Amino acid sequence: MTALSDVIAAPKDRVHRARSLHWVLALLLGLAALASLEVGATDVSLSALLLKLVQGQELSHIEQIVLYDIRLPRLAMGIVVGSALAVSGATMQGLFRNPLADPGIVGVGAGAGLGAILSIVLGAVLPASILAVAGNHLTSLAAFLGGWGSTLILYRVSTRHGRTSVATMLLAGIALGSLAGAVSGILVYMADDQQLRDLTFWGMGSLAGASWTKVFAAAPLILLSVGTALYLGRGLNGLALGEATAAHIGIDVQKMKSITILAVAGATGAAVAVSGGIGFIGIVVPHVLRLASGPDHRTLLLNSALLGATLLILADVIARVIIAPAELPIGIVTAVLGAPVFLWILLKRRGLVEL
Amino acid sequence: MTFQAENIRVSYGKTQVLRDVSLTADAGQVTAIVGPNGSGKSTLLGAMTASLPYTGRVSINSTNIKALKPWELASQRAVLPQASRLAFPFTVIEVVRIGHQAGSSGDDPDVPMKALARVGMAHYANRTFQELSGGEAQRVMLARVLAQVWAPVLNGQPRWLLLDEPVSSLDIAHQLQVMEIARDFANAGGGVIAVMHDLNLTALFADRVAVLSGGQNIAEGPTTDVLNDETLSRAYGCTLRVSALPSTKAPFILPHTATA
Repeated sequence: MTALSDVIAAPKDRVHRARSLHWVLALLLGLAALASLEVGATDVSLSALLLKLVQGQELSHIEQIVLYDIRLPRLAMGIVVGSALAVSGATMQGLFRNPLADPGIVGVGAGAGLGAILSIVLGAVLPASILAVAGNHLTSLAAFLGGWGSTLILYRVSTRHGRTSVATMLLAGIALGSLAGAVSGILVYMADDQQLRDLTFWGMGSLAGASWTKVFAAAPLILLSVGTALYLGRGLNGLALGEATAAHIGIDVQKMKSITILAVAGATGAAVAVSGGIGFIGIVVPHVLRLASGPDHRTLLLNSALLGATLLILADVIARVIIAPAELPIGIVTAVLGAPVFLWILLKRRGLVEL
Repeated sequence: MTFQAENIRVSYGKTQVLRDVSLTADAGQVTAIVGPNGSGKSTLLGAMTASLPYTGRVSINSTNIKALKPWELASQRAVLPQASRLAFPFTVIEVVRIGHQAGSSGDDPDVPMKALARVGMAHYANRTFQELSGGEAQRVMLARVLAQVWAPVLNGQPRWLLLDEPVSSLDIAHQLQVMEIARDFANAGGGVIAVMHDLNLTALFADRVAVLSGGQNIAEGPTTDVLNDETLSRAYGCTLRVSALPSTKAPFILPHTATA
């Protein structure tokens, strides 16, 4: 039975590799976080500040503001948004059993965006009691509902008898995205000056407007959604075999799907609400990780959260330094880096993508 | 202990596909469901695996399957679908492990490899599933199913293999291999229910046969009793002659003697 033990050894490595990748990625995230605190429009640098603190000197007022009110919230937002985008991408790909299903591509991002715009433009006409309860979370909640609605519609339209048609999914995504875009356009048309300003900032797809208020508005929903998604690994692995087989191996498929859709909508909605549409993180991160350590969702989801946060922070650093002192919207950076990867996936899988 | 379907009715839209079909399979036996295309064989298996809505009662070891949670069912029976598609580049061994984790087959980490070895696919453990040919993929899926219910009897209760055309894309050697696996599972105390296309393999390996035609069960019983000229001709709508090998008395059916 030597042959048997030989072949047992190698596949275990992939599981181990995925597990040790947790630590490598956590380390990378730490390094990216340091870089993000170090770099910025002012020449305040983390290393200099740390030196000052160690020497027992007080930080100047400006230094305090730069560190505590600008760079730290921006870093925190990069982490929650990056992990939300990557995990909702990985989760949605698992649900649709296709590596091209990304909330940004199939209209869920646009749906969430519509929700956010609705809340910005029409939020004021809501009863005061609702506004008081929702507070800062109104935009996040509205974006979540928009994302949830579009994910539900998308799944209903593209799945028949437990099989998801990729062609229908992509086409329905285009239709949903355009519809959400058109309605958003009408709302933008209706908006007043102040609202237009809010919308513009929001729509750029940027972490530039990061503040602790925004972080606290988005973080609870994102942490809940991402945390939930991390427990979907076994179910999504089963779903890779198709809905019928997933049920045969003991997965409560209906319940699993509902939770998955809620988690995707929650993470996408909250991320879109605070940072606008940032594309391609959700498609590139899971794909790279599948190449590195296999498609097992039990490790893929946590690794996606870590790598997603790291990549978004690094993209943000690039956005800040490349044309400093001005900065590029981060959506441009992620698109420039991500779109070619998307095309490469298509090219490589041309024979495998069942349209 | 039995796997029972009682008065099963299934409709697709307004078309009634199964009309009051009943079937009893005993543990320790291979029970085959045969019948022409569109007779409702796979639909019956679909109802028995709760993959589609049905009326009637399906019970496994005397418990209504509707009273069992998905994971409880998964520890008592495993299902091999007709065709399997797999999303994402899992390796062969990873696919089998997914089955193993589903069925409370114990903590023996070697079960997936043993199951792969059983279907003669151990040397492909590290291949990506998508690289396999149709027949290889079908055998890997069988290994996944075997890993789910590796012990044919668990806690004194028989476990069940439900196979939908398990040999449909296999060459003759592997057809025999797969049927031997089913046979051994039954001999070890488990139960096997298989939808079969090939009447000769059915005659060779099944203890009991149910013949479906037009959504009804037109004959059910021991293989040698059920496989006769009259029943088969009626079911398949062509004249069929059942012969017997002089040596083993096992019945066989040659297309040469059939006339439409």
